[in-house]
Order: sequence, then C-alpha cells, then structure tokens
Amino acid sequence: MRLRIAVLSTLAMLLVVAPLAAQEITIWHAYRGGEKDAFEKVVAQFNASQTKIKATTLAVPYDAFADKITAAVPRGKGPDVFIYAQDRLGGWIEAGNTIEPIDFYLDKKLTDRFIPSTMQAMTYRKAVWGLPLNYKCLTMIYNKKLVTTPPKTTTELVATAKKLTNASSGTFGLAYWYSNWYYHSILFNAYGGGVFAADGKPNVNNAANVKSVDLLMKWFDKDKILPAEPSTALITSLFNEGKAAIVFNGPWFLGEISPKIQYGIAMLPTVTEAGGKPLAPWMTVEGVYIAAPSKNKDAAFAFAQYLTDVPSAKVMALSGRQTPANKNVYADAQVAADPVMKAFRAQVDTAVPMPNSPEMTMVWSPVTTAMNAITKKALAPKPALDKAQAEVTEAVSRLRKK
Amino acid sequence: MSFRLRKTIVIALALGGALAALLLHLLESSNVNANARAEAERAAIVTLRAISDTSGWLGAEGEGVRAAVASWSGGAEQRKVRISNTDNRTIEASSFPEDVANGELPRRMVRDEKPIYDLGQELASAVEGNAGGAAATKEVVALEWSADGWLKIATPIFHEGAVVGIVQTVSKPAAGATIAVPWWPLAVGVVVICVVFLAGAFMIGERKLPLLAFAALLLVGFLVYGGRAITGALLEQRIAISTQVAKQVVEEKGKALAVMQTAAVAAPQFDASLWDSDRFLKPRGAIKPDLTIDRAKIAKVVAGIAEANRSVMIAIGLFAFVLFIFVGSESAAKSWAALVKYREAYSYVTPAMIGMLVLVFFPFFYGITLSFTDQNVYTTNSPLKDLWVGFKNYTEILGDFNIMERTDAGLQFNYKNFYWTLFMTVMWTVTNVSIGVSLGLLLALILNTKGLAFRSAYRVLLILPWAMPNYITALVWKGMFHQQFGVVNQVIQMFGGTPVSWFERPLTSFIAVVATNGWLSFPFMMVISLGALQSIPADLYEAARVDGASKWQQFTSITLPSLKPALVPAVILSVVWTFNMFNIIYLVSAGEPASSTEILITQAYKIAFEQYRYGYAAAYSTVIFMILLAYGTWQNRVTRATEGI
Repeated sequence: MRLRIAVLSTLAMLLVVAPLAAQEITIWHAYRGGEKDAFEKVVAQFNASQTKIKATTLAVPYDAFADKITAAVPRGKGPDVFIYAQDRLGGWIEAGNTIEPIDFYLDKKLTDRFIPSTMQAMTYRKAVWGLPLNYKCLTMIYNKKLVTTPPKTTTELVATAKKLTNASSGTFGLAYWYSNWYYHSILFNAYGGGVFAADGKPNVNNAANVKSVDLLMKWFDKDKILPAEPSTALITSLFNEGKAAIVFNGPWFLGEISPKIQYGIAMLPTVTEAGGKPLAPWMTVEGVYIAAPSKNKDAAFAFAQYLTDVPSAKVMALSGRQTPANKNVYADAQVAADPVMKAFRAQVDTAVPMPNSPEMTMVWSPVTTAMNAITKKALAPKPALDKAQAEVTEAVSRLRKK
Repeated sequence: MSFRLRKTIVIALALGGALAALLLHLLESSNVNANARAEAERAAIVTLRAISDTSGWLGAEGEGVRAAVASWSGGAEQRKVRISNTDNRTIEASSFPEDVANGELPRRMVRDEKPIYDLGQELASAVEGNAGGAAATKEVVALEWSADGWLKIATPIFHEGAVVGIVQTVSKPAAGATIAVPWWPLAVGVVVICVVFLAGAFMIGERKLPLLAFAALLLVGFLVYGGRAITGALLEQRIAISTQVAKQVVEEKGKALAVMQTAAVAAPQFDASLWDSDRFLKPRGAIKPDLTIDRAKIAKVVAGIAEANRSVMIAIGLFAFVLFIFVGSESAAKSWAALVKYREAYSYVTPAMIGMLVLVFFPFFYGITLSFTDQNVYTTNSPLKDLWVGFKNYTEILGDFNIMERTDAGLQFNYKNFYWTLFMTVMWTVTNVSIGVSLGLLLALILNTKGLAFRSAYRVLLILPWAMPNYITALVWKGMFHQQFGVVNQVIQMFGGTPVSWFERPLTSFIAVVATNGWLSFPFMMVISLGALQSIPADLYEAARVDGASKWQQFTSITLPSLKPALVPAVILSVVWTFNMFNIIYLVSAGEPASSTEILITQAYKIAFEQYRYGYAAAYSTVIFMILLAYGTWQNRVTRATEGI
C-alpha cells in the first residue's frame, strides 16, 4: 500500500513538473577568448530573458568543428543550433539532413535587419538556410606614422607606396598576401570577376580575372611596391617592424598588431584602372544554423532570432570585438563611436559574399597553384588561369558523375 | 574400416551447403521483396505523375484541382492526396483529414505545415540542380515508407515549365507487405547433395582428395542451380509487375482526361507511358507509347540485376567454400583444440584483440571498402552499396599513363599523375634515408670518440632537432627559404650569388624540403648508431689492432657488421616514416610548384579534403598501403631483420 502511494505521488509530481520543464537546446560554436566570453554572455541573457527555453553551449575546437558537424548531425547526435562560416554551407546542404531550411520562418521584418549581402551568403539554391551573425572581410590598415592620408584610389596608392618602398632595406609601401586567391578577391571583384558563372559553372579564367591579375603583376613587377613570397607571418612581422606602410587584412589581424604601431583603418581604395570601381573583398559570414534532425526547431529558431537581434549584436560587437551582420546595431551610440566597427561597417558595403557552393573547395588548390606560378613568373596570367580552370572543371565534373 | 574422413567431409559439406542455402535464401528474399516494393513504388509514381501533370495543366489552383484530389483519393489503397502551391504558401486541395481540421481549404500554410513547404523547396531545388548537368543527380520524387506499410510520396507540379507547387500522396499499397519466400526448396537441396555424397563416398573409400573434390563438385552444382532458380523467378515477377503497371497507366490516363473534361480545360497532347518513370523522372522504358509492355527491355533490366547478383553469388560461393574447406580439411577441429588447450593465453590477449579490432582493423577495412565506392561530398549519407564502382578507382589511379603532356611550352611532366608522384615519393624517401643514415652514422662515430670533451653537451644539442615538434621546424625552415627575407638567400647574397626563388622550380623546391627533412631525420639515426656502437666489445678492436688492421679495415669489418642488426630495422622504420612524411611536404613546399613536389600521402589528403572525393582518396591510400606492404615484405625477406624479435 505504501509503495502504491509512493508510486502514485511520484507520478503526480511528474505530471505537475513536466509541463514546467524548459525546452533544452544545445548550441555548438567554435569561439575562443573574448569572442567566447561575449557569446556566452548573450546566451546567459537569453536564458534570463524567458523561462521556456534553456540554451546550453559547447565550444568545439575550430579545426575539428566542420568534420564533427558532418559526422554527428545527420545521425541525430549533434546540437540543435550551430554556428559556422558559410563556406561549408553548400556541402552540408548537398549531403542532406544537416541544416534545416528556414525560409518558412522568414518575413520581411526579420530579413530587413541584416546587411543584405550577409543574407545573400546564407542563401543556397534560392532557399535561406541560416541567420547571419557576424561577417569578416578585408580592409585597408595603415601605419599612421608613415601614411598621413590614406589613399583613395589605386593611383594614389601606388604613388604613396612607391615613396615608402625601399627594397634594399626591406621596406614596402604595400604588403598583403596577394598570391592567395582570397586576398586577391579584392582585385577581381573590382573588375567584376569571380570563380563561378551565373549558372554555377566554374569560370576562373574570365577576362575580368585576367585583368585583375595583370594589375597585380604591374604593382609587383613594374611598380615594385610589394614584397616577394608573401605569407601571413611575413606581413605581420613587416607591419609590426614598421616596414610595411599599408596592409590589406581582416579583423583577425588587429589582434596581431604590436602595441608600438599606431594604426588606422580606412576603406579599400577604388581601382582607377577598373573605371573607379572600389576594391571589393570577399566576405565570410558566420551563420546560425538549425540542425535538421533537431527536435526543438521552433525553440532553436527563437534562439537564432534572439542571437541576431540588436542587444545581442551589441554585446558581441563591444565585448567580443566581432562585426555583427545586424545593421541596426551600428546606429547604437557606443558601437558608432568605435572606429573599428565603423570602418568594417563601411567596408562591408563593397564586399561580396564568398561562394557557398561545395564546388568552391575544389577551386582553392588550382588557383593557389596558378597564383604562385604567376607571381613567380613561371606562367603568364592567362595560361595559368586557363590551367586552373581546366583543373577545377575536371574536379567538379568528377564529383557530379554518378 | 574407418569412416573418419567421410564423416568429417559430409559434415563440412552440410555446413557449407547450409550456409550457402541460408545466404541464397536471404538474397532471394531481399530481391523478391525489393521487387515487390519497387512495384508498389512504380505504381505510386504513375498515379502521382498523373495527378501532378493534371494539376499542372490546371495551373495548380482552382476547382479543377479540387476535382482531381477528389477523383484520386480513397480506393483500395486508402489514398490521400494533397496539392500545395509553394509560391504563395497555400494548400490548394487535400484529402488529408488533418489539413481540413486546420482550417478550410484553400488557405495559407500554418507553422506546423513547414515540412510541406520545405519539401516543396527541396524538390524545386532538385529540379534546378538537375537542369545544369547532363545526367540528373537529384531525386525529384521524394519517397518514404513508414514502418506499418504506408507509402509517402511527393513530386513537384510544373506549370508552363516552372515549378509552382507539389503534390503529395499517402497510400497503403497491397504490394508493400513483406512476402515470405519459402525456404524449404533450398533446404531439400542441401539434404539431397549430402545424400548423394554419402552414396558416392562409399564407392570412393577413405581417400581424402577424391572425397574433397567430389564434395566440392556437389557444392558448386548446388550453388549454380540455386542461382539460376532465383534469376528465373525474378524475370517472371518483373514481367508480372510491368503488366500490372501498364494496366494502371491506362486507368490513370482515363482519370486524368475525365478530370480535365469536368474542369472544361483542354488537355494538351501527352504520352502517358512516360509516367512510368524512376525517381529522377526518367522514363523506365518498360512500357511502350501504345501502353503495352516492352519485353525485350524488361529482360535487359533483369539481366542487369542478374549481373549485379552474380558478384554476390560468387561471394556466397566463396563463403560457403571457405567454411567447407575449413571444416573438411580438419583445420576447424585443430583450431578448436588449440583454443581449448591455450585458453588462458587466448583470454589474456582478448582485450587487446578487441581494441585492435575496433581501433585498427575496423577503420582499415572500412577504408578498403570505401575505396571500391564513389563516395564524395554529395553522397556521404547514401549507403555504400549504392555507390559501388568496383575497381574503377584503382584502374583510374594505376591505369593513367599520361606522365607527359604537351603544352605550349613543349613536352612537360604531368605532375598530377600517380607515377610522377610515386617517383617523387621514392626519390624523397631514398634521398632522405641516405642523408639520415650517413649523417647520423658520421656524427655517432664522432661522438663515440674516446676522451671527447663536452660529449654529453654535443649529444643533447644534436638530439634537439628531433625533440622539437616537427611542424615548428618545418615552418622555421620555410621561413629560411623565403626568396627575399630568408637566411639561406641572405647567405648566398653575402657570397655574391643571386638569390634563388626556392619554390619556383621542382628541383630547388625538392632541395628545400629534403634539407628540412634531413635536419629532422639524422638525430634518430645518430641515437640508434651511437647505442649500437657502444655495445661493440672493445676487445674486437684490440684484436684487430694486434693483427695490424688499419682504421678503415676495422670500420668495414667490425663496426659496420656489428651495427647492422640495429641499423637495418631503423632503416626500415625510417623508410616507412619518410614515405608518409606528411608535415614537411605539406608545410614547407605545399607541393609547389604545380604539385610537382607532392608525395603520395599529401596527394591523398588533397584528394580527400580539397576535392572531396572520399572513395578515390581511399583507393589512393590503399595503393600506398600496398606499396609499403610490398616493400616491408621484400625488405624483411632480404635482410631477415625481424627474425627472432
């Protein structure tokens, strides 16, 4: 009898408790340091703001992140929400059962709060798959001691850089990782080039890309304003020793600058040779995605919405030093007063989202080879890009074949 | 008179036969059921496409569509139909009870109906994805069986060439139920061959080989007979199915025309036989435009299935034979006896064996299996048997002899070719191991000098390159080879030379990576040689000196032979390490220029993680494994180095 009472009362308690238990959602992210602290602060705010959903976070190391998602999510072992840059988006969508399409949830009011190009980065085959959280793109960073007025056009850039270059002492007016296709994006985007045609077919050797490489080679070979064999380590050390006056680099570079260097950030110049079009960097966008096998999709979407709203974006901008995709946050007085935020917000208007199709991964290796061959003058721009085009086309066609 | 042999062999025959019978039964059962399911799916696709085409002609909205839903709903299969318009997110018409419960139709979708909308988007994007390439790769018919035999199926509605919505149906086809294939004919077959064997065995007597051969012959006969019977049954079932489907096409055509007539819209000219299509909307061709079945086509399809079954059949035969030989040659009895006798030893190694099984053998065999498939980034979630390509990856890797290619600049090496990379890998291994061994031995000899001052300090210093994480060393060396700022070129310029762009040509790039790896590899050889040198007894040298041998004679006759037992295994190890030395190549030269300094392992990595061709990369890795296995076996045989270890 006692036992029965005990069982009944436990059951009764369960019935009472069950409806009150919050829905639990798990979020995987790859943030570290200040970004992680800011992110966790936002999650804590979310949990405090309501009682229905309880969000817990798990920091996964960046290099293992993508593979972990690929392996865990389709088998239902993953999180409800995860955050990653858009470059793997297409691959996950094609593999299936990884990311939930969120078109159905979207309305104009929601999509309008984002910088339009960041929204474009979340779109694959006409459907939207995530809410943009933060973006990263290249901009112009200069040594204030060496450069008083940052150049507005490439003509000014070359003139300034020439004055500041002295190859024998190893100082250069301009330094950036120009042999890397990602960094080179600023130039080919200015000319209207790219790597895929409108129909999604690889188009590496288009006329605009060739022109952009020609201009780069003029800077490197004729104007001699660039160091040879650039790499991140080289650029950083040159800039920190005051041996590079201007660099094109992204927000990740700011943390590497030595405190002795007074730096300024300005918009990338316009390209005189391309009819005054601005240098347009590729942009990567971190998206908030809902895992397709998640059982709590509505809660997950509510969280994604909260995460990309102004109050959260403000925390991530000011304490996490990230650049939010929410455009309304830049109207906030504190954010607006921040020179870094202001600079990247201005730069992003010229930025082009990096392609998110899985074919993009097949582009990197051939174009790297091409750019190395070009900058080492082993091949002329056109034949080098032709070769890359052939390689990319072959790699893509091999994938499609079934 | 003894019967031992005959007894053992008849047991082996019975076991082998039983295994074969079981596997054949499973194969037949799975084939028959797959056919039955395929029949239900084919029929459902015909109906679905009839509805989809009809609603497309009607513009996917209005009274006509509602009439179509009413006309196709219900029936023996309890079919439910839903037609939704994804452009304006409405459900136009439906016979699903829950749709009507959510509000009167047509109406906008509610939040709970997101999956309908998503499915529509997915199918629309599949249509778009297929439009680009030559061959369709995305399924345009979504299909799902529920556990209790309901078939859910959906396809887009086209209106004037564009996708405007989707049609979904749920039905419970009679053919969806599992068919029990009788098992007894095969069992009887096993009994028959055993009886025949026993009868024959009395005539043969206790002679091992003839008995085994006779039994094997019976087993082969059984396998061939079983396989033929299965294929014959399949053809019959197929023809029956197609006849049924053809009948249904006629029926659905009539329904479609009736719906169009009530809606007072003229139906365009159409070929109803195309409704019998696969999930890519490609017509199966089993039904001719006059809506009769095409027997020749069906026979061809069945021949294809039989072809696919043949390899399974061969595998079944192999399994049965392995079991038969294992038991028949009395190995089974011996193994069991050994297991019982040394049960303690076996129980001790069990945990380690399980660990090896899970951590080593499983990934290893999974990798080998993967190498026979075409898995890539698009197909990571498909079952491996759908991606099976046999030896295609291997023939593609090993059969590509385009080592030279003609370019504008004349004849050039094709650096992406397997044989170039293999050549490079061999060069890389030979150069590095020679440098490592000679430098290591030289330094060891110097360090072994008696009375050398600060010997321990030197030793620590010389081991340092080895103690440092090798990727750090690699990055430091990469910096040293920088064209403008690198220390190597600074030194060259100090002596009046012109700076070298190290990673511009294959040869200089190769020198740079070899220099880096040489730096990393000599300490290991030095430590090994030093240890071995110190263990050579001093009296050997003393005796040599007494006999008047020169220093060089002492070195070649005493030192080198005494070092051999220590050095040879070290060389084997070092060859395997260097062969697969990923870090140095990847970090220092990254294969530049144009993949010419790539080695096999870095190439495999690039195929897997830059081109996303997992199956091909697995085959590449298996080839690397085979090369190393062949090398190891050969080396072992030549030197007998691991003897007695």
